[in-house]
Amino acid sequence: MEHINSIYVLVYNLVRGPLVWISSIIFIVGTIYQIWQMLLLTKINTRPIIKVFDKQYNETHEKNKEESCFSSLKRTICGIHPIMIVVTTLFHILLIIIPLTLLAHNILLENAVGFSLFSFSEKISDILTVLFLVSSFFFFIRRIFLKRVRIISTFYDYFIWFLATAPFLTGFLAYHHIFNYRIIITLHIFLGELMLVAIPFTKFSHMIFFFVFRFIVVNEYSFRKHQVIRTW
Amino acid sequence: MTEMIQEILKEYNAKMKLSLKVCAHCSLCAESCFMFIKNNKNPIYMPSYKFINSIGKIYKKKGNVDLKMLEDMKPIIWKNCVLCTRCYCPLGIDIPSMISLARTICRMSGVYPQYNEIY
Ligand code: SF4
Ligand code: SF4
Repeated sequence: MEHINSIYVLVYNLVRGPLVWISSIIFIVGTIYQIWQMLLLTKINTRPIIKVFDKQYNETHEKNKEESCFSSLKRTICGIHPIMIVVTTLFHILLIIIPLTLLAHNILLENAVGFSLFSFSEKISDILTVLFLVSSFFFFIRRIFLKRVRIISTFYDYFIWFLATAPFLTGFLAYHHIFNYRIIITLHIFLGELMLVAIPFTKFSHMIFFFVFRFIVVNEYSFRKHQVIRTW
Repeated sequence: MTEMIQEILKEYNAKMKLSLKVCAHCSLCAESCFMFIKNNKNPIYMPSYKFINSIGKIYKKKGNVDLKMLEDMKPIIWKNCVLCTRCYCPLGIDIPSMISLARTICRMSGVYPQYNEIY
C-alpha cells in the first residue's frame, strides 16, 4: 500500500508540475509552427479585385443585401443543418472557454504565474460542462448512427473524439467527487495535457486551419472576400 | 508507375497531406454537391467520400498503388464528380483540387474514361 502511494505521489507531482509546462510549451510552439507552415502554403494575392458594373447584377446584389440576416442564413449550411450548426458552434466555443474560465484552473494559474483570467462561478462552469458533454455525445451518436458520417469515419476519428471529451468528463467527475478523486484528478490533468500537445499535430489542427484558411485565403466562401489578401 | 506517382505526390505533399489531416469527417460538405442531392443523398457522392477514397487512399499507400486500385477509383472521381468546384467545406478545405490531383494521377496511369465508354 505504502509502495502504491509513493508511486501515486510521484505521478501526481509529475503531471501537475513539469508536464504542465512541457505540454503548454509544445502547444504554443507547435501552434506557431503550424500557422507558419500553413501561411507558407499560401501566397499574397496579386490579382486585382474586379468590380462589376453590370446594372442588373448590382441590383440583384443589393436586393440580396437587403434580405434579412436570418433569411439569408437559411440559404447557407445553417439552414440545411441548423441543429448540427448550433451544437458544433456551442461545442467548439465551450471547448475553449470552459478550461480558460474555470475557477480552479485560474487559482492554479494565479499561484503559478501571478495572474489569472476571468472566471465563471463553479455552478456556471458545471452547467457549461454538462452542455459540452451533451454536445459531444451528440457527435458520437451522429458518427455511429448516421450512415453518411459512419461511412467516412475511422478509428482515428473516435480516438480524437475521446481525446477531446475525456478531459471534460474526468473534470466533471473530479468536481463531483464521483469515483476515486485522486485517480480521476490525475487522469484529468494528464488527459488535458495530452489534448494540448495533440492540438497542433493531429486532426485537432483543424482549429488552426479554420482560422488561417477561412479568414485570409480568398475563395467565394471566405469571410474576407472583399479584402483579398492571400490565395492558395 | 509508382515512381512517377510518388513524384507528383511529393510536389503537392504539403497541401494535400494537410487537407487530408484536418478533414474532420463531419460530412457537412455533402449538400454542397449536386451529385449528392441528385442521387438520393447517397453518401458515396459526398465530396469528402470522394477525396478520401481517391487521393486519400493514394497518400495512405504513399503512391504504392496498383492499376486495380486506380480502376476502383475511376468511377468515384470521373463519374461521381464532374469537378464543378461547387463543393463547400466549412473548414476551408480545397476539395476540388484534391479530386483533380487524383484525376491527374489516374490519367497519367492510363485510367480515364474512354470517349465511347458507357458507364
Ligand atoms: S471536407 Fe470539410 S465538410 Fe467535408 S467532411 Fe471534411 S471537414 Fe467536413
Ligand atoms: S467538384 Fe465534384 S464533389 Fe465538388 S461539388 Fe462538384 S461534383 Fe460535387
